[in-house]
Amino acid sequence: MTDEPVLSVRDLEKHYPIRKGIFNRQVGVARAVDGISFDIGPGETLGLVGESGCGKSTAASSIVRLEEPTAGEVVFNGNGRGGASRDPGGSHPNDVTRFSDAELKEFRRGVQMIFQDPSSSFDPRMTVGGAVAEPLAVHGMSDRRRRRAIVEDLLERVGLSAEDYDRYPHEFSGGQKQRIALARALVLNPDLIIADEPVSALDVSIQAEILSLVDDLQAEFGLSLLFISHDMSVIRRISDRVAVMYLGEIVEVGPTDGVFADPRHPYTEALLSSIPTPDPRSSLGGIELTGTVPSPTDPPSGCRFHTRCHRVIQPDGIDVDQSDWRGILNFRDRVADGRIDVESVRENAAGAAGTPTDEDIGDRLRAEFDIADEINDPDVESALQEAIDRLLAGDEEGAATLLSERFTTPCAATAPERTVHAEGHESSCLRHRSEHAVAADHADD
Amino acid sequence: MTTQEPDRFDRVDWDEISRSRWFDPSINGVGVLATAIPLLLVALYDWLVLDERTPTLDPVGLGWDVGTVDYLFLFTLSLFAFYIVLPLFQHPRRTRYYWREFRRNRPAVVSLGWLGVVFVGGILGPFLVSAPEQSILTGYQPPVFLSIDESYVSTCVGDIVGGRCQGTWRHPLGTTAGGKDVFAGIVHGMTISMQIGFITTTIVASIGIAVGTVSAYAGGWVDEVLMRFVDVVLSFPTLLMFLLVLYIYGAGLGMFILVFSAFAWGGTARYVRSKSLSIAEAEFIKANRISGASTYRVVRRHVAPNAASSIITQLTLLIPGFLLAEAQLAFLGLGDSAIPSWGQLISAGRSDLSFAPWIVLAPGMVLFLTILAFNFLGDALLDALNPEAEAENA
Repeated sequence: MTDEPVLSVRDLEKHYPIRKGIFNRQVGVARAVDGISFDIGPGETLGLVGESGCGKSTAASSIVRLEEPTAGEVVFNGNGRGGASRDPGGSHPNDVTRFSDAELKEFRRGVQMIFQDPSSSFDPRMTVGGAVAEPLAVHGMSDRRRRRAIVEDLLERVGLSAEDYDRYPHEFSGGQKQRIALARALVLNPDLIIADEPVSALDVSIQAEILSLVDDLQAEFGLSLLFISHDMSVIRRISDRVAVMYLGEIVEVGPTDGVFADPRHPYTEALLSSIPTPDPRSSLGGIELTGTVPSPTDPPSGCRFHTRCHRVIQPDGIDVDQSDWRGILNFRDRVADGRIDVESVRENAAGAAGTPTDEDIGDRLRAEFDIADEINDPDVESALQEAIDRLLAGDEEGAATLLSERFTTPCAATAPERTVHAEGHESSCLRHRSEHAVAADHADD
Repeated sequence: MTTQEPDRFDRVDWDEISRSRWFDPSINGVGVLATAIPLLLVALYDWLVLDERTPTLDPVGLGWDVGTVDYLFLFTLSLFAFYIVLPLFQHPRRTRYYWREFRRNRPAVVSLGWLGVVFVGGILGPFLVSAPEQSILTGYQPPVFLSIDESYVSTCVGDIVGGRCQGTWRHPLGTTAGGKDVFAGIVHGMTISMQIGFITTTIVASIGIAVGTVSAYAGGWVDEVLMRFVDVVLSFPTLLMFLLVLYIYGAGLGMFILVFSAFAWGGTARYVRSKSLSIAEAEFIKANRISGASTYRVVRRHVAPNAASSIITQLTLLIPGFLLAEAQLAFLGLGDSAIPSWGQLISAGRSDLSFAPWIVLAPGMVLFLTILAFNFLGDALLDALNPEAEAENA
């Protein structure tokens, strides 16, 4: 029973319908969370990391059913519900998404949440003691004195004093409020706490205090933690395992040490490179993600990261410099969207020296997309030049057609499978498909 | 509970607590119930047992016939005492904070004092000052320190000096044509004004808050239907409705209060809805839902109290409208002539303005001051109770 995860999320989806017009017709869906799966073991901390808008918070509120998930399964084995096995029909008796109201209320005792914004996470008209004690009252503890005793004890545990019970939220600093939020999350003695960016609104020094408080409490009470953040350094500080989320999907999951030492997904690599390191000669230096940030209403086909990936795969027959390849693809997408304004490029070039030749403008375009002036593959070079010429001649469509026929990447065509790199370290990237056989010698562990 | 349980959050036996679930009323709820139940019993006794002509308190030797409006008034007073006044004592820190904020506005402090006088006068006055009685012989008595030409009065209570009847302390504010004491009329008018103020406010607040929060929380077509209904209510010609009721059924004070408050909650409902929608977005509401609180509890304990400051302000500013409406209707002769309201007093003196102006001026001034006081108070409450301002000052 001990190796059973406290929380086990399978293929969780949350889609928001997009309605338009007078009849509220559904015209599409925003796939905020699109099939994520992970487990959290007892006493374990899973860090869920990703940039803003990738669906981390939606995932959290779907797991706790603040919002109803569209599909998927959330199995919660805490609260003494462990050891259950699946029904013959395939549904799990501990599936949160199928809980009845009474079960849901009981489930609330097992899972609590901490929110990002300390200033709005307390009712300004209620004393903090009242706010922390409220879950107790909600769950039927009617003895006021007992509630007060429990909450005073708890306030002291999170580093405040019992006298703070009667004070109002506006009398506390942001860090203190997060301590109180922690107390409120703890008061029902949950098995799992979901912390949604709990320290991102705080100063770095306060962050460290809160994180070590979380560590201590977690060790003392055997809590499991789902820690959501966009900040890789915070994640490294607190997590046992990391799940990296991009546009509603988990692209890489693994033990913190493994993921930080050897990121296998290009997106993880990019995130890691954003951590400032004290070592100036550090090899992971500032990978800049280019290309457009896609919208969850119309996610890219194949691998969702391919529109921004700095390691996007070149098809058979093309072998150019990787940064040129990324630039060519960005150029292709921009031309296809009709978002290249040749006239303004021409004008800018004119400002520099006399009447610009087509060659000057071509060079400017290449510079804008970080493409070398002369690509080492003559076929690619001639096709690109041809496209630029068509574009300059005003034939945008011709240029777009040529580019999209000539330059394709397998990343856009095939959705990547999960690849296992080491014990518990998995990622979804097409590069691993080819690397698979070769990469055995890679220092995987 | 068998043994002394250690009071630590991780040693709570939730199975035991979840099973022993019982009604857990607050002291405020108990207080309201404790006054409402006897009141209801007396009302039932009055209605079912006593015949129409026996005053309600006859069995205990008092001549006070409690009417429907009085029952409602007493009930709203108990609501006021247990849900507005008592919480001020329950949360002394917050009260001191509000008072500090409120005190900065001097006109509002004076207004509060004046309204306190009207309130106490309205509650206790009728027991100390007997109701103004008709006495034709002592009509047109002037207020104390003033005098009137002897020819207007049939019997002068005070001295007649140089052909002018002097005012006396027996009628400090003079009397009307019918010999009714104006001071007694004003004191009894305070009761009427307080009744109008309290009962309409309670009705408007309960309907407005209920419709507003339900609309905000239910959303969808419920929201749509309720808000369109609010539009209807807001555009309804209340005065015409009242005149219609008046001609068909006759209209006493109770009917006035009912009709006017039944069409005045639209603005409050709309206001509460928008306020609730903005509060519902706050993270503390999420935190409450995640702790398992029901929607009712969230609305009752968090949404309504946070909207309350604005609601109280809005309601304070509604009361003058009702008082003025009553006075206007009374002045036009459309009011309830059986009650000693300020409006009735003003209308009684309107034809004698040339030689006995006190009959109109005394209640007129009181009405004016009261309305002014409510307006000042509303403004000051808006500043003192505003939660955003509270956060900024922190």
